[in-house]
Amino acid sequence: MSEYESTSLVKTLRPFHVWALGVGIVLVGEYMGWNFTIAKGGVLGSLLAMLVAGTMYVIISLCASELGSATKLAGGPYDWARLFIGPGAAASVGLAVYMEYIALEAADAIVVACIAQSIFPELQVFPVTLLVIALLTFINYRGVVAALTLNFVLTMIAFIAILAFFFSTAFGLVDIHPEYLFQGALPNGMIGLFAALQFGPWFYLGIEGAAMCAEECKHPSRAVPLGQQAGMITLLIGAAMTLYLCTVLIPTDLLGVSVYPLFEAAKNSGIFIFVALLGLGTFLTCVASANGCVCDSSRSWFALSRDNYVSSWFSAVHPKYNTPYRAVIFTMPVAIGFAFSGFLDQVITFSIISGLLCYVLIPFSLIRFRKLFPQTTSKVRPFVSPLQPYISYFAIAIAITILSTLFWGYKYNLIFAFVFYGIAYFYFSHRHKNSNIENNWAEMGWPLPKGLDNGRIKKEAKSIGDE
Amino acid sequence: METNNQALESKYHSKLTGDTALVVGMLTLLICAEGFIIYRILSETWEIASSFFYLYVIFIGLIILIETIGCLKVRESIKTHMFEFKYYD
Repeated sequence: MSEYESTSLVKTLRPFHVWALGVGIVLVGEYMGWNFTIAKGGVLGSLLAMLVAGTMYVIISLCASELGSATKLAGGPYDWARLFIGPGAAASVGLAVYMEYIALEAADAIVVACIAQSIFPELQVFPVTLLVIALLTFINYRGVVAALTLNFVLTMIAFIAILAFFFSTAFGLVDIHPEYLFQGALPNGMIGLFAALQFGPWFYLGIEGAAMCAEECKHPSRAVPLGQQAGMITLLIGAAMTLYLCTVLIPTDLLGVSVYPLFEAAKNSGIFIFVALLGLGTFLTCVASANGCVCDSSRSWFALSRDNYVSSWFSAVHPKYNTPYRAVIFTMPVAIGFAFSGFLDQVITFSIISGLLCYVLIPFSLIRFRKLFPQTTSKVRPFVSPLQPYISYFAIAIAITILSTLFWGYKYNLIFAFVFYGIAYFYFSHRHKNSNIENNWAEMGWPLPKGLDNGRIKKEAKSIGDE
Repeated sequence: METNNQALESKYHSKLTGDTALVVGMLTLLICAEGFIIYRILSETWEIASSFFYLYVIFIGLIILIETIGCLKVRESIKTHMFEFKYYD
């Protein structure tokens, strides 16, 4: 092991960094993208999609809080699947997380470049996109604290912009059009209620990534649950406010196809301060989202590399900055490739499908974790998620339902994703079947898992016993 | 030594109160915002939404119930482990 590889990630992050990572990635989905729910199901379809997806994400964030504070590992969903399900599921989830975030980073960088071009027409989208990706990669290369502190500031400004706009509207400072609510209530009938579900995750897509900085937290058993739950509540509040503001200020037929709905709602209010605030918020959320995506995708790749799922060369940690710098730098060519593939809408859909796959496997990891380690000691489970495993089964059912709605309009993306992750599952299951990689529970300070009748666990337990 | 321990304990409880206030404040804002928005939207569209309004009631109820219990559990976890893991040092 080289000197670089033996260095560990620095443990300095606090709950507000966890909040900034989670909300920073997701808040962009409230500034744009969520309004496709309106196109599918009108105001009532969008409201139902927001609540159904919100229920699923509340459960996912509780599962992530328990698993993240217990394992304290950088790979997040990948590490949970590796420890509690198996190598095939771990590789699929690791790749799904990587694809989810890297595709989002590419999309965010392009939007930042488009906004910059709309302000300064002499700029060109291609070089600005490259510059944004390069700059964020450099910030993440230099250190996670600087990257997430930047995210905190950007995200806080963008969230305050939504709060200020909402309260001004609620207290009558802005003229609204409540008639838009009835006019666009349910344009496609009852089927629209169901169809709108496919875009419901936009309100919260990626919040589970907040737990991926657990390995770099000073006190992960406090920072992860507190930061994750605060982040989830922030997003629920932001989603509800955004939906209300846009539906009472933009006619439904225009809202369904809007590129920057919150910014357009502010423009329709006719108040300059809100136009400026929401315009700034749109720009900042894209930067914050891309920044958080670099952080999370690099951690997922780093974790895959550390366990030899991909080349172990990527698992090096910088001796000075304590960042997984090779994994961070590697996000750049991949994001650029996605950004200039010319199929960005397909890439984003692939990102959503990848996310939904994670939402099936994260609660399943928790169910397995509970079965293998029923103890609630400080070492094993410092945070105990409530109402388990019932809510996990419920979240899995919602995720599968939303996945099934993607069959309308995104049939080929869905089939491609299943084939891609199916191949990954069987390839890595086969590759790791005879390998000698075992989970060293003792090193984590955990007892041996329950259920030694499971072949894989038995093998791991024996390996530890032999040592 | 006694004074030091008391000061430390007082500091920890004060910080725990800060964490609790943060979560309670956010939960209150969540309940008020969601309640206001759902009321406004459903009241304006009642002619259409009246036949399936229970779907909204079920899911908003689930969100608030699960999130509130989750937040109580977060507080309980911090309170249980704050001295053991030296959260506020």
